[in-house]
Amino acid sequence: MRAYHEQTMPATAVHPDRNFKYWLLAPAIFLLLLIGLFPLIYSLVVSFMRIDMMDTDTSFAWFYNYKNLFKDGRLWWSLAHTLLITAIALPLELLLGLAMAYLFLEKMPGRQIFISLLVLPTIISPIVAGATWRLLFDNKYGPINQILSWFAGERVNALWTINPTLVYPAIIFCEIWQWTPFMFLILLAALSNVDKSQTEAAEIDGARFLRTFRYIVLPAIWPVMAIAILIRGLDLFRIFDIIWALTQGGPGTKTETISIYAYTQGFKQFETSYTAAIAFLVVFILTVICTWAIRRMGLAK
Amino acid sequence: MVTRRDVGKIGIAAGLAGGLSRPAWAADGASAAVEAAKQFSGQTITIVWEAGLQALDPLNFSGPKWKELTGIDVKVVEVPVAEMFTKIMQDFKSGAGAYDALNVIPSWMPDLANAGALEVLDPFVDKYGYRDELMKIAPTYRDNQMKVNDKIYGLPDDGDVFVMYFRKDVLGDPAIQKAYKDKYGADLPMPPTNWKDFDQVAALITEVSAGKIYGAAFFRESGYGNFMFQERFRNEGGKFFDADTMKATINSDAGVKVFTEWLAENKVAPPGVEQWGFVENLAAFLQGQTAMTISWPPYGRWAASYGTDQEVMSWVPKSTIAGKVGYAMTPGGHPELAAGFCLSVSSASKNKEAAYLFIQWLNSEATSLERVKLPYALRDPFRDSHFTDPGYAALWPDAKDYLKALQDGANNGLLDLSLLQTDKYEEVLRQSVSKLWAGEDPKSILDAAAAEWDAITEKIGVDKQKAVYADWASKSGAYPKM
Repeated sequence: MRAYHEQTMPATAVHPDRNFKYWLLAPAIFLLLLIGLFPLIYSLVVSFMRIDMMDTDTSFAWFYNYKNLFKDGRLWWSLAHTLLITAIALPLELLLGLAMAYLFLEKMPGRQIFISLLVLPTIISPIVAGATWRLLFDNKYGPINQILSWFAGERVNALWTINPTLVYPAIIFCEIWQWTPFMFLILLAALSNVDKSQTEAAEIDGARFLRTFRYIVLPAIWPVMAIAILIRGLDLFRIFDIIWALTQGGPGTKTETISIYAYTQGFKQFETSYTAAIAFLVVFILTVICTWAIRRMGLAK
Repeated sequence: MVTRRDVGKIGIAAGLAGGLSRPAWAADGASAAVEAAKQFSGQTITIVWEAGLQALDPLNFSGPKWKELTGIDVKVVEVPVAEMFTKIMQDFKSGAGAYDALNVIPSWMPDLANAGALEVLDPFVDKYGYRDELMKIAPTYRDNQMKVNDKIYGLPDDGDVFVMYFRKDVLGDPAIQKAYKDKYGADLPMPPTNWKDFDQVAALITEVSAGKIYGAAFFRESGYGNFMFQERFRNEGGKFFDADTMKATINSDAGVKVFTEWLAENKVAPPGVEQWGFVENLAAFLQGQTAMTISWPPYGRWAASYGTDQEVMSWVPKSTIAGKVGYAMTPGGHPELAAGFCLSVSSASKNKEAAYLFIQWLNSEATSLERVKLPYALRDPFRDSHFTDPGYAALWPDAKDYLKALQDGANNGLLDLSLLQTDKYEEVLRQSVSKLWAGEDPKSILDAAAAEWDAITEKIGVDKQKAVYADWASKSGAYPKM
């Protein structure tokens, strides 16, 4: 039977092509490249052209758009706004998330229900969250000013989305409200896996909380915490929805982030090539930051 | 309770009844479109329409009626007005051809036409003998909002114009009138016809009523503020550009005066007015909290409680001021023809002829009259025959005065600025308004805005933009005839 089989089967089946596995993988890889790499390359090509609303000039324009990036003050301000929001919101989310994780580490009645409720903001679409907060901050109908009025004993007319001194606190508050639970959830999982015998031993030896945290807990949770910081940092750098819903980058351009600026240039004013150049500036900045962060945090290990 | 579906049925019945009572349809643009469109029976055309109340017109009334008359389905793509330009351009640039017919704000028309996104309509207009009926659209819309480079790209379909609404009972209150005379030594103007009088009346009402009723409120949110600035700036004698050099002149004394007076007006307006848009301003006026305001025509209809008992209108606060509202032109006498809509055909459409026939039918004398009377839709009278229609004038006790105010507004109205890449210029204005509310100095804001306008002009090309501006400025509604 075997002899007959070997005689009738083609040689390739008897001695399978060693490259056959690659042929099996090829469609999936091709699809991934088509979806992921093609738009990237296409955008790069477009960034060297001069395509805008009125013109579809596809001739090679060298670094015309990239040179314009350096002259565009609004772009650099939008980058500064993005960094400001990231620099304030990220540590606050981390600290609050960590504090909440510690709180829920101990067993308590209704723990699971509370955790589920706390995580709810993260499953809401950011644009919906932003629109809802806009209503909450509304001067006339919003409950926030109403509550502040009760405490103040007189009507409070805080214009949260217009007043330059209030607008950043409003944005950062919304951002923290929505994304602290993400930090909380990840850090809770990390803290749950810390070896309790070590912390208990430290406690018996009289170590204080901060010392235990610094030398036992932090090293144990650091790989997870670093990933959480990286993910949230990247998310904050791309922040769009909440700010768009709350202020659309205003007053003026005071809360315009790099994503909002790119959207305005690309999809409202159809500066297609210039927007592609902005996108590659963002890719460059994020690549530098990520590489530095991954090395610094020791994630590569 | 009348449901949204019932409203549709009522609309269709009203439309059919209107149609049946008009045998003259046999020779008009509506019936010509219907007859010609029957060859496309079974097809579907897609039209872009502003999301929300506006879209109830094709969803509940005109779409089903067109299907019944011609067998052509109408698919309505609802898009928020702020995203309409983007969606239309994206569809055109991608060549997808997802849209057949379009709603286009007239100030966008040069950009869309120059980009090639709109189909030239002259051949269709002539083929279906619609030109005479088209010419019966009120002159200001017909002459200014229909063509680019002398070619028809859109059928003007919405008589958007700002109207001043004032409370006759408040301004006519003897105590208010006496207080005004005591303070200013003159009779209270009813209604005020210039901004000085308007501001005096508004301040006095707020003062005398001790905040129980505020003298005035306005759109102050930056998107609306753009229109308000354009109107008032020109009523104060301002020009957008120096016609010879194309240098921006919005930072002139007229511009600074407008911004400075806005800040003063906010002090006698309800707290938080800086954030007010269409709904906030409407709610305050209908609830009797403000004595004067400026807005688009639907305020007048809803203040008179016309159609507001329907379920789809449940979000509109019940009017407490029906029968107490007067209608007038905005101070200065030249109201903004703010936004508005034209009906166009997408150049990327694969059903251009069917799409054109649908918009001709919508825009025709007979169909449009039914549409501007739909209480839930937001299309406003735009044909001479709409302003004089006895049926419309009988819709509520003061409807005749209302129609006169709209017609006066149309005759004296000011066009939105329309250039190449208009949105870039408007964006600067929107940001300037929001900077004003953030506490920046009016002159500094406008100096910066003028510099930004100059930079935009330079980028587009001074000579190119100069020619477009000269064409726009030559239109009858560009600047007031002083």
